[in-house]
Amino acid sequence: MTDELRVRLAGMIADASGGVISSDEVLAGRHTLSALGLTSLARISLIDTIEDVFGLEFDLSGDLSSFEDVDTLVAALK
Amino acid sequence: MKIEFSGATEGEAPLTWGQRLMWRAVHLMGASQNYLNCPFVFPVYGRKDLSVVLDALRVLIERHEALRTTFSDAGQRVFRDGVLEVELVEAGTDRGLRVADRVAAEMAHIVFDHGAEWPLRCAIVLKDGRPFALACVFTHLAVDYQALALLAEEWKALLKGAALPPVAWQPRDQAGLEASDAWQARSARSIAYWRDVLADVPLDVFDHPPGEPEDPRFIEVIMDSPALAVAATRLSNRLTVSSTSVILAACAEVLAEVSARSRVVMQLVHSNRRDARTRGMVGTVGQDALIVLDRPEHDFAEFCRTTHRAALQAYRNAHYDPAAMTVMREKAGGHDLDAFFNDRRAAPGWPALPPDTDLSVATTRTYTKNAWPGVRFKVFFTVGADAGTGLLSLIADTAYLPRDTAESMLRSVETRLVGAV
Repeated sequence: MTDELRVRLAGMIADASGGVISSDEVLAGRHTLSALGLTSLARISLIDTIEDVFGLEFDLSGDLSSFEDVDTLVAALK
Repeated sequence: MKIEFSGATEGEAPLTWGQRLMWRAVHLMGASQNYLNCPFVFPVYGRKDLSVVLDALRVLIERHEALRTTFSDAGQRVFRDGVLEVELVEAGTDRGLRVADRVAAEMAHIVFDHGAEWPLRCAIVLKDGRPFALACVFTHLAVDYQALALLAEEWKALLKGAALPPVAWQPRDQAGLEASDAWQARSARSIAYWRDVLADVPLDVFDHPPGEPEDPRFIEVIMDSPALAVAATRLSNRLTVSSTSVILAACAEVLAEVSARSRVVMQLVHSNRRDARTRGMVGTVGQDALIVLDRPEHDFAEFCRTTHRAALQAYRNAHYDPAAMTVMREKAGGHDLDAFFNDRRAAPGWPALPPDTDLSVATTRTYTKNAWPGVRFKVFFTVGADAGTGLLSLIADTAYLPRDTAESMLRSVETRLVGAV
């Protein structure tokens, strides 16, 4: 289940980046999403998508580190 | 010269949220609304006949509904057919691109008649009788800077004779999406965020009363600073926040200092193309985000991180129906919110910055570029689109910020950034 979610989120991240970041780069987990080039606009797009798909709402006023890596994002969604 | 175009579609729709924002702005600015016009030059690559160049322009207009639309209070009206007048200008002994820039700028001085005129004016600049560039001005109701970048890419492809895929998303589609329950809920959430922010901020940008303004009252001062680009890039890399956030943090600090307040409220011009469908749309999508920042005592690095987080939250709440937002803002007390920040760069960084550029401010210069009688901004910082140097401009209401103060604010932004590296 976790692997499936990782792959799904990696696809969403790649889509949100508009092709700048590949799913493989995300899944490799060697760099933060910022270091891979995820812009603020792409991050908002990703948040929109996750909220729409999973039917939840993120609190953006606190720590945003869960948006830096697919595994922390998986953990945040569990 | 005339272009007869015949698109595949026609029809009417309500204004999109982006168009509504611009519609309100053109009315607020009145005779100064030419500030909102978008001059743009499309170079003609290679030796092309005039017929090829005219054909490429015709195809752009036929592909994109926004380029054959008129605007009114009732909404957007897309025409299938029409005729566009295109002037021919011989550059003579002048440089072709310089002439094209000048022609585009001259056309941009004239206010659009949005309900009766096509949303673009065009002239072809010739050099020795051959097309050298297409000079245009667009109304901001039809395009934003991302749309212009899209048109530039298509222009290049059309001149090469390439076939383009059909346009998948037009402003009328966007208007339909914005009427959906999901997007209305998104608008309501954004308006609730703004309401919460406005409950705890001053009504005006400045406490001090207006002084004697210059004539024209609003001026744009520009700082050309390679050092700013170097400093923002290094800080961005070190702090893992965008260079936009780094420059925004410095501008907010300077505004806090000038306004003698610890709390700064600014509107951020936001491209808003976060929905994948809008990424290929020629239209105006941008809306304003609202950010509130409390100036820290010392640590600029930490302030950059705080700014980055706050900007993300602000951008997220930049999708809203401007009419509903106006109603809420009036009920909330009518805050002026006339302090703005805009980053016009199409991509992060300054890729054309000479590699040996350093933090020296010896080559930094400031100059005044434009002036208007009524653009209504008190403070408007803009990071310029030039990829080869750090351009930061400040539109200032001289009744509140005299010219010297505006210049020193730009220099202070540079000083903060360079000093923080």
